[in-house]
Amino acid sequence: MIQSTSHDSSAHDTHHAPPAQFTVRVLRQDVPGGSSYWERHTVKRENDMNVISVLQRIAANAETADGEKTTPVAWDCNCLEEVCGACTMVVNGKVRQACSALVDKLLVDNPEEIELRPMTKFPVVRDLMVSRARLFRALQKVKAWIPVDGYYDMGSGPRVSAESQEQAYPLSQCMSCGCCLEACPQYTKIELKQEEGETAEAFQARQKEAYDRGFVGAHAISQVMLFNKHPTGAMNAGERLDALTAEGGIQACGNAQNCVAVCPKEIPLTTSIGRAGRATTVHVIKKFFDR
Amino acid sequence: MQGPRIISVEANSASFFSRNEFLIRRLHSLTGLVPVGAYMCIHLITNASTLGGAPMFQKNVDLIHSLGPALPIVEWSFIFLPLIFHAVVGVAIIRSGNPNLSSYHYVGNVRYVLQRATAWIALAFIAWHVFHMHGWFHNEWWLENVANEDLGGHRFDPKHAASTAALALEAPIRKLAYFIGVVSCVFHFANGLWTMGITWGVWTTAAAQKRANWICGAVGIVMTVVGLSALVGVAKTDVVAAQAYEDTKLQMKQEEEQRVAAENKRLSSLTAEERLAERKAREANH
Amino acid sequence: MAKERVLVVGGGLAGLAATMQLAEQGVAVDLMSLTPVKRSHSVCAQGGINSVNDLTRQQGDNEYLHFDDTVYGGDFLQHQPPVKEMTEWGPKIIDLMDRLGVPFNRTPEGYRDQRRFGGTLFKRTAFAGATTGQQLLYALDEQVRRWETAGSVKKYEFWDFLGPILDENGVCRGAVAQDLVTMEIRTFAADAVIVATGGCGLIFGRSTMSMACTGSAVARCFRAGAKYGNGEFIQVHPTAIPGADKLRLMSESARGEGGRVWVPRIPQDPRPPKQIPEAERYYFLEERYPKYKNLVPRDIATREIFSICTEDGLSVEKDRLCVYLDLTHLPRESLNKLGGILEIYEKFQGVDPREVPMKIFPAVHYSMGGLWVDYERTPAGGLKLGAIKNQVTNIPGLYAIGECDYQYHGANRLGANSLLSCIFSGLIVAPTVQTWIASLKGKLAADQPAALYDAAKKRHQDEHNAMLKRPGGGENPYLIHQELGNIMTKAATVVRHNDALRDAYKQVQALEARAAKCSLSDTGNWTNQNVVFTKALWDMFPIAKCILKGALQRDECRGAHYKPEFSMPGIDASASPEERRRLAEEWVDTFDANTKKWLKSTVASLGPDNEPVITYEDVDTSLITPRPRLYGLVGADIIEEVWKQRQAAKSAAPKDTNGSHSEKSAAAAASAS
Repeated sequence: MIQSTSHDSSAHDTHHAPPAQFTVRVLRQDVPGGSSYWERHTVKRENDMNVISVLQRIAANAETADGEKTTPVAWDCNCLEEVCGACTMVVNGKVRQACSALVDKLLVDNPEEIELRPMTKFPVVRDLMVSRARLFRALQKVKAWIPVDGYYDMGSGPRVSAESQEQAYPLSQCMSCGCCLEACPQYTKIELKQEEGETAEAFQARQKEAYDRGFVGAHAISQVMLFNKHPTGAMNAGERLDALTAEGGIQACGNAQNCVAVCPKEIPLTTSIGRAGRATTVHVIKKFFDR
Repeated sequence: MQGPRIISVEANSASFFSRNEFLIRRLHSLTGLVPVGAYMCIHLITNASTLGGAPMFQKNVDLIHSLGPALPIVEWSFIFLPLIFHAVVGVAIIRSGNPNLSSYHYVGNVRYVLQRATAWIALAFIAWHVFHMHGWFHNEWWLENVANEDLGGHRFDPKHAASTAALALEAPIRKLAYFIGVVSCVFHFANGLWTMGITWGVWTTAAAQKRANWICGAVGIVMTVVGLSALVGVAKTDVVAAQAYEDTKLQMKQEEEQRVAAENKRLSSLTAEERLAERKAREANH
Repeated sequence: MAKERVLVVGGGLAGLAATMQLAEQGVAVDLMSLTPVKRSHSVCAQGGINSVNDLTRQQGDNEYLHFDDTVYGGDFLQHQPPVKEMTEWGPKIIDLMDRLGVPFNRTPEGYRDQRRFGGTLFKRTAFAGATTGQQLLYALDEQVRRWETAGSVKKYEFWDFLGPILDENGVCRGAVAQDLVTMEIRTFAADAVIVATGGCGLIFGRSTMSMACTGSAVARCFRAGAKYGNGEFIQVHPTAIPGADKLRLMSESARGEGGRVWVPRIPQDPRPPKQIPEAERYYFLEERYPKYKNLVPRDIATREIFSICTEDGLSVEKDRLCVYLDLTHLPRESLNKLGGILEIYEKFQGVDPREVPMKIFPAVHYSMGGLWVDYERTPAGGLKLGAIKNQVTNIPGLYAIGECDYQYHGANRLGANSLLSCIFSGLIVAPTVQTWIASLKGKLAADQPAALYDAAKKRHQDEHNAMLKRPGGGENPYLIHQELGNIMTKAATVVRHNDALRDAYKQVQALEARAAKCSLSDTGNWTNQNVVFTKALWDMFPIAKCILKGALQRDECRGAHYKPEFSMPGIDASASPEERRRLAEEWVDTFDANTKKWLKSTVASLGPDNEPVITYEDVDTSLITPRPRLYGLVGADIIEEVWKQRQAAKSAAPKDTNGSHSEKSAAAAASAS
């Protein structure tokens, strides 16, 4: 391609033109629990590239920087608009969505290389793909839903003030991407291995139990505050607070507040944690004296 | 049609610690403020009275020691046991985390790491400090054979408060150690106060947390000044003069005690009638 | 005794609504999805969801008018009873979603707030911020999670549907699927299979759709004998941000606030846009439409932007088609109103649109077409709920709902109607499936001979194994996908010409032959995305060909399908009144003839030579008489006059002498029922 494209308006207001090509260093892993290794790829720079399109080029090319044949890098993605949460990975050392990680911006920080790693708090499935089953399990644990009677027509829902809608809406934007968990120093990886002779069901049950004992994380705490604030959800507030005071509950929070700093949806997670702190304090005291 | 029935998973096989994780963590948080944090503040303020000279410091120390035989009970139940609990749970908490400062350089993350670093420093410092000043145990044999002068233990004598404190901190290296120790403890306290407010839900929103941060910061600065003024006070103490005062005071105290003892002895030897007569005579004098 | 089990494929709004409803009715559900269901494409819907509401009702709105707007917007190509039923369910659906906790925007008094969307005069659209689709999906996801926790729903996330399993009578008895992680292929015995797999935007390479929207599941049903309806109707959104990986929506409000669309007069002028002087800029919309300027109707904007790049060769970039949408001349205060959408541009383009003109281009956005499904109407013209025919494909036991059915949007979809149709079809399929299962009289899938499932599994396993063993050095699936996307985008999106379509069809055939020679760069058997993508690519061809062939054969303009050769020009305003009258009569004659010939659903099925065979099916327009869409047409007034007179004459002839036009009498009939 002719260099004229870099003359384009989308190029940054930098003194030097972006490079014609760049290196991508990917931390790959073939199987769960296997050893990981770095692999370098050379990618030709195009306009408006993001990390997703880089991975698409790598998949199409399937060749390392040294010209050796390789397999396409496995990764997870769907909407590419930063609303589905699928393509979360560690880009240049920071957890974020690959779709909104723009190549030109990354190259300003480091013109030579872009580094891609899978999230470290979840078991690697392959390459950049991880299993976030624990994250969804946490939503089950804290009963993150409105327990309606049923789906027949019962008229409209409760009236809600504009103010509480404005409080609920940001919390409801959580796309379960896992950034808050990846950046949380208190959320540590739980990776189990299926034993020989262990059935899939038995393994899943064991995994579920292990997940339930680990920290639920900021996203789930915030969901509890979302549902406990809803007029119908509030009717079961106690059950959710019970989940938050069980093992792996809110008490495991270390107040590093990385969660709120990395949240791509800018959800006020630490406010949720503070509110959940107050709610659990009151809940536990009440429970003790009302029993 | 009612919604699905969902049976909550009960962790029945879980250990005592995991079943009571919430309670233990909240107790850990609480003990950080009361009594451990509160004691630290009183302790630092008392120590700061060295700035007011040896008599003032001695008076404050005497006040504490006026508890007499109750002092160890108070010390253990309100200082040492809560402190040990706070420390043991704290170590478990530190071990459960996985700091990632190298990837995420946010202020909150720096403070998270500092809170843990100062926890270790405070733990080491307090352990050494209690040995250094008090020798850990008030056991004769222990104090003579282990926590003795050779090992630098039991350097503080409550009856010669200012002078022994000044002597104990005479070496610059000790002053430095105390400086680091006190600053770490104060940071741990002030920062812990702030996180505690979030944990218990006192300040919840980002704005409230910011305001609380100013308050906790101010507490931290005030306590740092108080703590360091104690160090300055100790450093400025004239050991000879202080000792002279303490000796005099001690002698006076002993004489007074002897006088009172003699008087008590005399009174106890009197009969009831004699005592009554004496009292009447005293009233008449008035 | 075996228990009934239903397989739902796809966990977007439609699939989740069906799952939740079935679970409530006590049916065990296996829910299969390419992605965790919470990450389904429904999250991308921004605008809102339409329904009549208490407010609009008092302004004269009713379900019938929503129904009328929908079929008018769809150019009358949809069967009317399902649409009528859907609009009647609208208020109930919003209420339900409200109860499920969707944080709809609120008025100061605490009621649901509403906004106005295109194609209607009423504020019918309920919305939750700028992410209504996401919020609706999450509410359903939460309900399904609740049933999953209770054990009545089992999720199979990261599973790829490989095809339905039909017994010797052609009844669907389950499906074959593949685990995307372990690559295990297994069968799912099911008494009904509900396909809810969304659109097929990836056939056009890059679109506004998510990466899961390959259309492969639908194609696999098509290969198994299911019919595909109205394939050629693809909605294209006029303004999207072209990215290297996908096209992202840019709201029309950017033009509403005064944004100007232009291209450099010198093709691919290398200068930065702000250095190009006014005289060398071609504000083509303003010049060609001096009355509407940049705010021409959506379809015109789409066509003009498209043709300035393709036909006039004036695209801003050489390798990628785009034009400038310029906001840089606007004062900051008016830009602040646009806040959110400018941030999206900045986030994904890394450029501040307040400083540098945006680059935009139309993008494939929605497939109105999809699997052909049936319905049963009531005498009053609604849907008979629970009827065995609703939402069923021509394969008994195989159902289609949501974007992947063809039923609700005709030739063009109204804004904010897609979320409604997805939830509606999901909710109503549940009682139908129950009726179907009851009709099986205990002969459930679980009791079918194992050989049926073993054979299906073996076929797919053999195919998979053969793919892994293919010799290297063949075609590259990713590059073939790019080529397919280019061909389809060029020939079958905004402006369609028969010669180009014919040509494209041949190219796609050639490409399909090449795709068959794809060799894999990954021959492993663990999370092999290479083989999964190649399979999906193969399955893009049948649908691509349905789209092209349908478009080629349909010699008219209807909704999103636009062929300039067959467009009906307006009437010269300068002509004499008599001449105008005569031309209008002629126009209406042509319109009537065209309606007679082309107001038919395109129904494709797979022929013996693996090419789609197209037949046409009459559309049930018994409730609202099709009428011309005259919006923006020169001479609309006189055409409308002629039209109304003829309608009056028609309705006067058989029965009443009331001179009102058909629309009103139909409305009366509907409300009387």
